[in-house]
Amino acid sequence: MALYAAAVVVAAFAVAPFAWMLLTSLKPDGEILRRTPSLWTAHPQFGRYADVLHAGFAVALRNSLVVATGTTVAGVAVAALAGYALARFDLPLRRYLLLMVMAVQMFPLVVLIIPLFVVMKALGLLDSWLGLILAYLSFTTPLAVWLLRSFFDTIPKDLEEAAMSDGATRAGAMVRVIFPLAGPGLAATAIFSFIAAWNEFLFALTFVKQENLRTLPVALSAFVGQQQADWGLIMAASVLFTVPVVIFFLAVHQRLTTGMVAGSVTG
Amino acid sequence: MGSRFDRRVLPWLLLTPALLVVFGLVVYPVGRTVWLSFRSAGLPYLASGQSRFVGLDNYRHLLTDAHLRQVFVTTAVFGFACVAATMAVGLAVALLLNQPFRGRGLLGVLVLLPWAVPRVAAGVVWRWLFDDQYGLVNWTLSHLGHDFTGFSWFNNRVPAFIAIGVVVVWQSFPFIALSLLAGLQSIPPEVKEAARMDGAGPLQMLRHVTLPMLRPLLLTLIVVSTIWDFKIFDQVYVMTGGGPYRSTELAAITVWREAFARLHLGSAAALAVALFAVLLVMTVGYSRLTRDDMALR
Repeated sequence: MALYAAAVVVAAFAVAPFAWMLLTSLKPDGEILRRTPSLWTAHPQFGRYADVLHAGFAVALRNSLVVATGTTVAGVAVAALAGYALARFDLPLRRYLLLMVMAVQMFPLVVLIIPLFVVMKALGLLDSWLGLILAYLSFTTPLAVWLLRSFFDTIPKDLEEAAMSDGATRAGAMVRVIFPLAGPGLAATAIFSFIAAWNEFLFALTFVKQENLRTLPVALSAFVGQQQADWGLIMAASVLFTVPVVIFFLAVHQRLTTGMVAGSVTG
Repeated sequence: MGSRFDRRVLPWLLLTPALLVVFGLVVYPVGRTVWLSFRSAGLPYLASGQSRFVGLDNYRHLLTDAHLRQVFVTTAVFGFACVAATMAVGLAVALLLNQPFRGRGLLGVLVLLPWAVPRVAAGVVWRWLFDDQYGLVNWTLSHLGHDFTGFSWFNNRVPAFIAIGVVVVWQSFPFIALSLLAGLQSIPPEVKEAARMDGAGPLQMLRHVTLPMLRPLLLTLIVVSTIWDFKIFDQVYVMTGGGPYRSTELAAITVWREAFARLHLGSAAALAVALFAVLLVMTVGYSRLTRDDMALR
């Protein structure tokens, strides 16, 4: 009995905020600001999602998609090549990889932000998708290299050696034999990069000032300031921002957990 | 020819993009921030790159400025409080999930949700939950006995930090709980059986068997959450913006404001370097502890 009571409390703490966000976004206006909150609604309003998209979130959604996809594609491509090299060749860099990953996990992003701002200003990359993508590579790449290297380590070397003895070059064997086998690892790393870029706030807030280039977290935080009391709209915007990553997250959490432990822990 | 290329050139060719990213986007900026922390730099630096060497003045400023000193203390106290609360909640949930009961698998998935929610969204949602007039938190607390009707969480420092702390714990306990659960499940059943034969009750079991066996994992998780909780930015920015009267500023927020609102780039850089140094020292300290631990075995 006590077990179940505890389980209910834990479940409520974990889920209630999420459920309340969804519920508030669907309640009719008159039901939101109530002294005694109603825990259900008989008349869900789906119109708020359209309102929010019209209020600038369609543009923010596009920006977030472009930036997160760009970061993912560039980051995974860079990390796959490096991860393969580190898994298959005896390189002196191998030893510093973990150190690098840990250091990047450890330092606060504010350590990078001033010089990145200055360089981007000089190169005209402020207020651009490319600028944000580059900034995001700084923290997604090291962990992605780490994840992919561990993944390539699990693929037997005989496979390329067989292909190479059949006349394939090393690069050919890598692209045609190993990368296809690494599909699950590449997918998990891609989702990890996507989530990190999708959620990032500090760089997006600092490097983008133009309203039509804002990503979702910045748009949401600005929206809260403008809409002070319209919690229905604010929650609808939060749902649009949250639900895609929650789905991705639940798809890969297993791998992410082990990856984070490996990436953030002394080996 | 092919194989020579494969052995000598190919690996470096493959590594080049990653090395460019790491040096251009990580090593260079960190070095530049350290350099900047010894210089006086303001708007002219952003406009045309002008700055002046000032030695340790920026670091001296960190120690003498009352607000900056307070920010350091606040960051440390709040950070450790969050770590302690996260570890306590995480351990409790892990112990619960380690018990056999129907619905355990479902609870294991539900518990993941807070971790998956983006930090900015979590801050926004909890701000609504902590709303003084219509928030679910005040309503629930009032029903549990004490009257919280109309209590405003964000007008004062301590309640504001409690609200932010709840969000931080909410988002970080799942990772701790699941990692500890994995640890609990790796304790051999014979060990527990032996302790039970010796007449150990559940609490004694926890204190003398479970926790000692989990010690290395606990230390590691403490390091990880300390690192997280000392660099909190998003939740504070969204929930209080550092107010009222800059009283809920944590180090990362202060660096950002010093740099981009007040344009004190030199002292912002010094503060960022100091924060990094503190995290580095703590990480090294903790990993010494873990290593000593291993040596004792």
